[in-house]
Amino acid sequence: MNQNLYQPIKSEIVDIIDESPTIKSFVVVPETEFKFATGQFVELTLPGEGEAPFTPSSSPAQTDKMEITIMNAGRVTDLLHRCSKGQMVGIRGPYGNGYPVDEYVGKEVYIVGGGVGLAPIRSLFLTLVDRIKDFKSVVCRFGARTPEDYIYKNSVFGSWQKIDGVDMKLTVDKANGDWKGNMGVVTTILDPADVDLKNAVAIVCGPPIMMKFATLKLLEFGFKPKDVYLSMEKNMSCGVGKCGHCMIGKYYVCKDGPVFTYEQIKDYPNIWD
Amino acid sequence: METVFISKLKPFLDAVAEQMDLYVPKKSGEHYVFSGYDPASETEVEFNNIRTCMPIKEFLFPMRELAAVLPERLEPEEIKPFAVFGLKECDLRSIEILDKVFAEDEFKDPFYVRRREKMFIVSGDCSEPAESCFCNIFGGQGFAGGGFDLNVARVNNGFVIEAGSEKGKQFLDQHAQLFSKVSDELLAERDKNRAATKQQLEQNNADLKFDTPVKEILENSQDSEIFDVEAQNCIECQACTRVCPTCHCFYLYDTKQKDYFGKMKMWDSCMRMAYAEVAGGANPRKVLGDRIKHRLMHKFAYFLDRYGIDMCVGCGRCVDADAGGMDIRVVLKKLNEELRDKSKAKVAK
Repeated sequence: MNQNLYQPIKSEIVDIIDESPTIKSFVVVPETEFKFATGQFVELTLPGEGEAPFTPSSSPAQTDKMEITIMNAGRVTDLLHRCSKGQMVGIRGPYGNGYPVDEYVGKEVYIVGGGVGLAPIRSLFLTLVDRIKDFKSVVCRFGARTPEDYIYKNSVFGSWQKIDGVDMKLTVDKANGDWKGNMGVVTTILDPADVDLKNAVAIVCGPPIMMKFATLKLLEFGFKPKDVYLSMEKNMSCGVGKCGHCMIGKYYVCKDGPVFTYEQIKDYPNIWD
Repeated sequence: METVFISKLKPFLDAVAEQMDLYVPKKSGEHYVFSGYDPASETEVEFNNIRTCMPIKEFLFPMRELAAVLPERLEPEEIKPFAVFGLKECDLRSIEILDKVFAEDEFKDPFYVRRREKMFIVSGDCSEPAESCFCNIFGGQGFAGGGFDLNVARVNNGFVIEAGSEKGKQFLDQHAQLFSKVSDELLAERDKNRAATKQQLEQNNADLKFDTPVKEILENSQDSEIFDVEAQNCIECQACTRVCPTCHCFYLYDTKQKDYFGKMKMWDSCMRMAYAEVAGGANPRKVLGDRIKHRLMHKFAYFLDRYGIDMCVGCGRCVDADAGGMDIRVVLKKLNEELRDKSKAKVAK
């Protein structure tokens, strides 16, 4: 651990992958070894410009480099999107709790993801798949605006579908004639018949509006609030539970989260905003 | 612990200033502010009967500081020992609160910790509580029970100085020639003054009584319109959070310098509209009333849940500083009354 918790580790962007028209993955190599647990996040500094929190999208098993998938959504992310290979960046962290993967052992892991929310989910997915026999099954219900907007296209449309123990369904809001899958928002492919409710946990990650309606739908199916895990996006500046920006009620999302069960946060106001 | 008497402040302050940088209260208009002590100055340091106008957090958690650099690393520098004279009980209790966040938490802020370790605290009894002081409502009494190295109480013909730490005791021993023994009469006078101040506080705040702990009042008032109504008196100047000795929100921002990239840490305010906004524009507290509610909840419920202590010391600085006319005492009182009316209505049914 750094003696100075605000000091980033000098790192380099060694590769940039175009994922969708608005989303890129950055392969980052920190100067010193950097380990994280799936679902934890890092603070990525673009020197002189700004810092923002991201959950790495790569597997924690890969320790020499990490991938960070970023949507162009604001000032810092726009500048990051203009960067080239070789750019120096800073990494602080890892912060937060991550997904309690060991608690999912023996269960059906029902993952609902949308848009750039597939980034943390990819890291989780790769972690689960590494020990897929430990889980009853891994069910993926993903959505994106259009087929173009899907990130990790090769994996999502291809290799992940073929993994034993993985059941995947995809949807898009809009598509042209080539799309063979479902059309509609992600809640349209959620079906209680696919879930063994007695022995399942759900993971939801995506845009706030999608998380809200997916969560409500899962509760309608009969998921208990304590079994629905949400990866919350809030304004996380310090990352260590001090600066106050990310608070949801008494929780610091950066320190107590970013993964919460719905049970933990359901009674606080405006959690989806 | 050891207690001594001295008739004038100057020799005492000179002795402190010989060992370290010393900050003392100085009158500025109606208020006191801290400024560097100059032993050569002709103007005598005034013993402040009341807290300064700016909070003590400035010494431990400055308004703006360099927190990190790239591409090299920034490790916090060693800090020279420094002393502050004239802190009040509310200040000491605010340090206790900040310590929980920055020094005792699993993540320690190294800049805070270094300053805290090097700070020599000379507190003083209050004798003229302001109209805005309400420390007694939140466990205060107008004089420090602990948390100081030395505490000074003004008596009729001088000052009673008490050691509250090993460092303080050492100082008294080292400078024994400056001090004389304290008589029982002087101690009795000090205690009488203390009782009078306490009584004054209780009198001033006689109408600020809550039926249940403030945490419960707030938790039971989540749907109250009072937050939005009171928000009409708030002009979002954010002064309340700046002068609050326990508010510790900050944000990190990056700068380009000639030879390095800097990451700055700067005070922030949860009353600011974009405070909780994320890229893309989502913001859980767009509405001012929600921000006021969140601030009060943080102070009296969330912080209490996490650290076992209220995040308000009742110093009243926010009451003095508020440019719009919002008064935390009034808000809490109104919420209390609203709940009382509600429960009366329930009983009547």
